[in-house]
Amino acid sequence: MATMRMREALNEALREEMERDESVFLMGEDIAVFEGAFKVTQGLMDQFGERRVRDTPISENTIVGTGVGAAMAGLRPVVELMTVNFSLLAFDQIINHAAAIPYMFNGQVRVPLVIRMPGGGGHQLGPTHSHSFEAMFLQIPGILVACPSTAADGKGLLKTAIRDDNPVIFVEHETLYGIRGEVPEDDHVVEFGSAAVRREGSDVTIVGILKMAHEAERAAETLAAEHGVEAEVIDPRTLRPLDLDTILDSVRKTNRAVIVEEGWPHGGVGANLAALIQEQAFDHLDAPIQRVTGADVPMPYSKRLEQSAIPHPEHIVSAVLETTSGALP
Amino acid sequence: MPRLSDSMEEGTVLAWMKAVGDEVAVGDELVEIETDKANMVYESDVAGTLVEILAEEGATLPIGSVIARVGDPSEATAGDGNGGPPRTEAEPEAPAEAPAEDAAGGAGGEEGVTDEAAAAPRRSGERIKASPIARRVAADRGLDLAGLTGSGPGGRIIKADVERAGEAAPAQAAEPAAPAPAAAAERPETARGSIETVELTRLQQTVSRRMAESKATAPHFYLTTEIDMSRAVEARARIKAAASEGDVVPSVNDMVVKACAIALREFPRANGSYRDGHVEEHSRVNVGIAVAARDALVVPTVFDADEKGLRQIAAESRGLAERVREGTITPPELSGGTFTVSNLGMFGITSFSAVINPPQAAILAVGSIEDVPVVRDGEIVPGRRMAVNLACDHRILYGADGARFLARVRDLLEEPVFLAL
Repeated sequence: MATMRMREALNEALREEMERDESVFLMGEDIAVFEGAFKVTQGLMDQFGERRVRDTPISENTIVGTGVGAAMAGLRPVVELMTVNFSLLAFDQIINHAAAIPYMFNGQVRVPLVIRMPGGGGHQLGPTHSHSFEAMFLQIPGILVACPSTAADGKGLLKTAIRDDNPVIFVEHETLYGIRGEVPEDDHVVEFGSAAVRREGSDVTIVGILKMAHEAERAAETLAAEHGVEAEVIDPRTLRPLDLDTILDSVRKTNRAVIVEEGWPHGGVGANLAALIQEQAFDHLDAPIQRVTGADVPMPYSKRLEQSAIPHPEHIVSAVLETTSGALP
Repeated sequence: MPRLSDSMEEGTVLAWMKAVGDEVAVGDELVEIETDKANMVYESDVAGTLVEILAEEGATLPIGSVIARVGDPSEATAGDGNGGPPRTEAEPEAPAEAPAEDAAGGAGGEEGVTDEAAAAPRRSGERIKASPIARRVAADRGLDLAGLTGSGPGGRIIKADVERAGEAAPAQAAEPAAPAPAAAAERPETARGSIETVELTRLQQTVSRRMAESKATAPHFYLTTEIDMSRAVEARARIKAAASEGDVVPSVNDMVVKACAIALREFPRANGSYRDGHVEEHSRVNVGIAVAARDALVVPTVFDADEKGLRQIAAESRGLAERVREGTITPPELSGGTFTVSNLGMFGITSFSAVINPPQAAILAVGSIEDVPVVRDGEIVPGRRMAVNLACDHRILYGADGARFLARVRDLLEEPVFLAL
């Protein structure tokens, strides 16, 4: 077990998979010589050469399209987009091609492509660099969506993503690159569709993704210390496939659910999950499901406004107390 | 939900015979409904297109509820406007953008949870706000949500409220109100041995409800007398001797029915009902006869018994009893009674008291005819006596009223020639 940062864990995953499988190669803007905007690809060009670690022009749709073609031809490309916002330029390749091709060709052609992209706010990068689009990708059939919140999951999920035969959107959170955590050595793999229960509790289920998994844990500590509320915190780790069973089991125990995400409220991850929970565990609910989301605005640039648009632990505490109102002494 | 019988309070939709979009003419069979008394086919009393079915098959609804709409198909989406089933309204949820709003408020801190939980008394008929699991736990434990105070937001009843109520009244929990076969299976052996829960049929439920309601709300008092039946029995023997093959011979009970009918015509109060704080006196004298059916008790009616001869009463009561046994009796034949006669004489019961069939004023309980020694002119001679007991609703009949009525019935049966007048 080694302690490392998220960016180092991701780097290790890429390195190990490239060593293990020659068909794995990397493409993206400034990933080779500059070693990536967030230094995830540090040292990889030196180790594997320019052929397998390729700098590209600023041309997202083409980068992803090249990845789709390479994947169809039998390689396992890992494409980096500099932020999730730039992935919008590649939506044609992602939705019309990467996601659809395996269906269009009845599975005769697979697209084992990984598209990595950092998202989320907190670094004052403004509305064109800071959004959270997990919900948009979640909506697309044919695409898997991974959202690691810890260094160990970053490594384990990225290795699984590279080995999976489906196109995977791999969302990294900009403020989590520096987070430290213990990462199992050797070939550490985290299965898709397996949620992690970060904290056990009996009073309310809090589901949080990416950075919000950490905020949920902080809120849970406050709830226990100041309000006598024991929250169970669940990090789904992948949104598609989703480990709904773990979430439903928890809700059946606690009778309450709060879902936290940094993305927008309408049609969000929380909106979707709230629908699934009420469809499948309606009789177990003791209060309306609460969502804590980012503000319904483009991400502001001003530091104060940006912080105001992102959920914080106190918002989660409020939402939880809304669900437990009257239920606890 | 149409009222298909006098005592009907709710009905169950068994089957729709028309589908949405079908043309419906007056008199068309529209829907089959199970009432407290029988299964009835309801014929449409309006013409048009069946625009909407609001009560699915199997749904049980109180009378007056809208179960379907027949009209102009272009009005399909217009509001019904007159008291359909209450539509649940979405409760205002906390806004999804809560964090933004909180934060935009400047504080960015924790918003105090508003305490609207203060328990306001619910008005009757108001929708009970309860969380899904609170409803489920209440159903499992046989607790009535209507009696609980909600401590959740807006007075919502939550699981903790139900659990507190369950702890406070464990005795109630032992007897689930709702049928719960699964729970019954888990019940441990008691000193009374194992328990087999027998569900009541709809008819039995109606009988229990109405009998309990009668005893609880109608102040009963009882008058007992003995009737010298020697002449009546003699008269019946002569009628029987004179009857030709196939003639219906009136029974003693038919004579009792006839005697009551004559007396009821003379004592309108005894033929009345108590409803909503006043007495209703009825123009027709309709005598109900309690008939034991399989697993049930029904009271078919001899209408206008005061105007019918003994033989007709006899023929009708045979037919009614037959149809009760066959299960082909219809609600109209079971409705409209203004008085009831209950006779257990055939079981050798000498006397008993009965429960008034609400909203009627009285019920006559008739025992068997017994050969007894009687004292006449200072000498003990053989006599034939029948004990009768009149249960009266004191809100309608007072002691002297009931006594005069019962005396009149006795006089008529002791001089049966009057029954022929």
